[in-house]
Amino acid sequence: MGKLRFEYWMEIAYSEPVTECHYTFKCLPRDTETQRIEELNIEITPPHEHQQGEDSFGNLMIYDNLYCEHDRFGFWMYGVARTGLAEGEPVGADEFVGRYRYPYGLNRAGDGIRAYFAANAPDAGSPRERAVYLMHRLHRDFRYEKGVTNISTTAEQAWRMGCGVCQDYAHILIALCHLAGIPARYVTGMMAGEGYSHAWVEILADGVWYGLDPTNDCPAGEHYIKIGIGRDAEDCLINKGMVTGGGVQTQNVVVRVEEAER
Amino acid sequence: MYDMDLLERTDTVNELLSRYGVKFGIYKNGAFKEQLFPFDAIPRVIGKEEFAYLEKGLKQRVVALNLFLKDIYSEKKIVKDKVIPEDFIFASSGYMAECDGVAPAKGIYSHISGIDLVQGKDRQWYVLEDNLRVPSGASYPMIARELCRRSSPITFANNKLEDNRNYAQLLRRTMDNVNVGGLTVVLTPGRYNAAYFEHSYLAEKTGARLVSSANLRVENDKLYYVTYDGRLEQVGAVYRRISDEYLDPINFYDGSLIGVPHLYDVFRKGNVALLNAPGNGIADDKGIYYFVPKMVRYYLDEEPILQNAPTYLPFYPEDMQYVLANFDNLVLKDVAEAGGYGVVFGNKMTKEQKAEFIELLQQEPRRFIAQEVIDFLDIDILEEGKLVPRKADLRAFVLMADEPLVWKSGLTRFSRNPDSFIVNSSQGGGFKDTWVLSR
Repeated sequence: MGKLRFEYWMEIAYSEPVTECHYTFKCLPRDTETQRIEELNIEITPPHEHQQGEDSFGNLMIYDNLYCEHDRFGFWMYGVARTGLAEGEPVGADEFVGRYRYPYGLNRAGDGIRAYFAANAPDAGSPRERAVYLMHRLHRDFRYEKGVTNISTTAEQAWRMGCGVCQDYAHILIALCHLAGIPARYVTGMMAGEGYSHAWVEILADGVWYGLDPTNDCPAGEHYIKIGIGRDAEDCLINKGMVTGGGVQTQNVVVRVEEAER
Repeated sequence: MYDMDLLERTDTVNELLSRYGVKFGIYKNGAFKEQLFPFDAIPRVIGKEEFAYLEKGLKQRVVALNLFLKDIYSEKKIVKDKVIPEDFIFASSGYMAECDGVAPAKGIYSHISGIDLVQGKDRQWYVLEDNLRVPSGASYPMIARELCRRSSPITFANNKLEDNRNYAQLLRRTMDNVNVGGLTVVLTPGRYNAAYFEHSYLAEKTGARLVSSANLRVENDKLYYVTYDGRLEQVGAVYRRISDEYLDPINFYDGSLIGVPHLYDVFRKGNVALLNAPGNGIADDKGIYYFVPKMVRYYLDEEPILQNAPTYLPFYPEDMQYVLANFDNLVLKDVAEAGGYGVVFGNKMTKEQKAEFIELLQQEPRRFIAQEVIDFLDIDILEEGKLVPRKADLRAFVLMADEPLVWKSGLTRFSRNPDSFIVNSSQGGGFKDTWVLSR
């Protein structure tokens, strides 16, 4: 069990005024079997009453349209979470795992990933053991490097480049799990000590979703706060927005997660 | 045999159509080309009793398809009961997970359905395709009828047929049925869309406002129409002529300039009706087509009235065997393609093409369906003063209002190329009016 204090801060500064802005944040962690959110606060600038909703993946959304002029947009979330309360998330009674079983969007394997899988497929073990095996392999054969891939890089493209960031590790592991017949999904969240938001994978075994972090080659346990889920990164982008005007944009994001006193 | 007075006025009607801007735009090799949609004055005539049979079958089919959509985006009982294999839902590009658990007003998904039928030489009708996303085409026989009546009143005095100019009333009733309170608008991508004529015509005839995304805005989870002087009027129903992926750049494809940011969130909260609902692509997927008769039995506990063209799913090993053994007699369709693309005839392939295709088929059996080639009943068209037989289909329009309504007309499209079996306006064919006799 862990107790983590977290903070997510994002600011965009514009060189010219924005006249219209549309945004959606899917950044709110929620109570699950593995974590309990004990405190959660949000502040948005310019201040306004925003809308709230839930998408079809169960992600909480904060969104709105701003028609007032502004040259700075800020989003600040902070709170406290209890983590590592369970080893995984049991499948809900009305949950459809089918959508996490097939290639979709950015997690599609191409010839490169298929060939790699053919050479590295685990030949025995439970689904969970096989997924962990694939994670170890991927971690060994893929290199962490920033600035090579971007948010719309597919699993196959990243694999061919041989390096990438957490999003790419996650997409490739999902593709490999699909090839192994194991349902797998994309998870966004925060991790103790990270300076940015993080992404990992949940795989389904015996009716339970288990978190695996291929970037760090370990289970996503008590040091992790889960935010969103989806088939791929685009289903659960932490923030998405569009503006009219604005000129040159400068975006800053800070994520801070630290152990709170027990 | 034909009403010569009307036939002699074919050129007049075509000139009027062009003057009214009845055009059809097509994209070919990356360029947008707008062309006239050639009208042939010889109508397709359907007898009263025959149409009554079609009407009954069409209502049954569209009711079942709507129940299927409602089920797929909620409990998915038809999958749990193994009537449709999971692969055909979740691996289909038509399935939109974003629509799971989102309930449109009154449970209606496909308000306007275009069902494509063909008639075989044995006079048997077959459904070739269901179009449940943004089916177009009703405006063409509407205006053609109008102009024919004007050019040749005698023809309509001599023939007793159902008036098809009521489509606008049927459509209005369909929109009003789900309107959650506020204006009704027709949302067009704009002037350069293939069916722009239709958008403006239907808006005018139904009394709805023709709008583009620039006229709409979302505030406080509601959709508003912005008037010329900047006032906001709430919108209760949107007959959108924009495909799902372009509807809302925040929730779907973010490069869309023709959508309205957060429109889908307003819909999700039940504060606006979208006609048709997003996500319908799963029901008119060519792979799902095979299962429509099974849906009729499953949801309605009735025998299907309308038949599908005999179809095989290579996904099932016994069907794969049949397809390989009878390859030359079949037409193969890629389930992901539309508009007459991705359709190949077994007997038109070279030996190499065939070998290559079969390899692909065995690698991705779910991607294709195979159908028997139907021996169409040709219908006559007038070409340079002579009658010549051509392949034609019929798009019937079924509207889901407080009850299912079938428009007593339809769009008959023909292929101008005598050797082509593909009848689709995207491939440059012509059209005819469809007469339903009233006695």
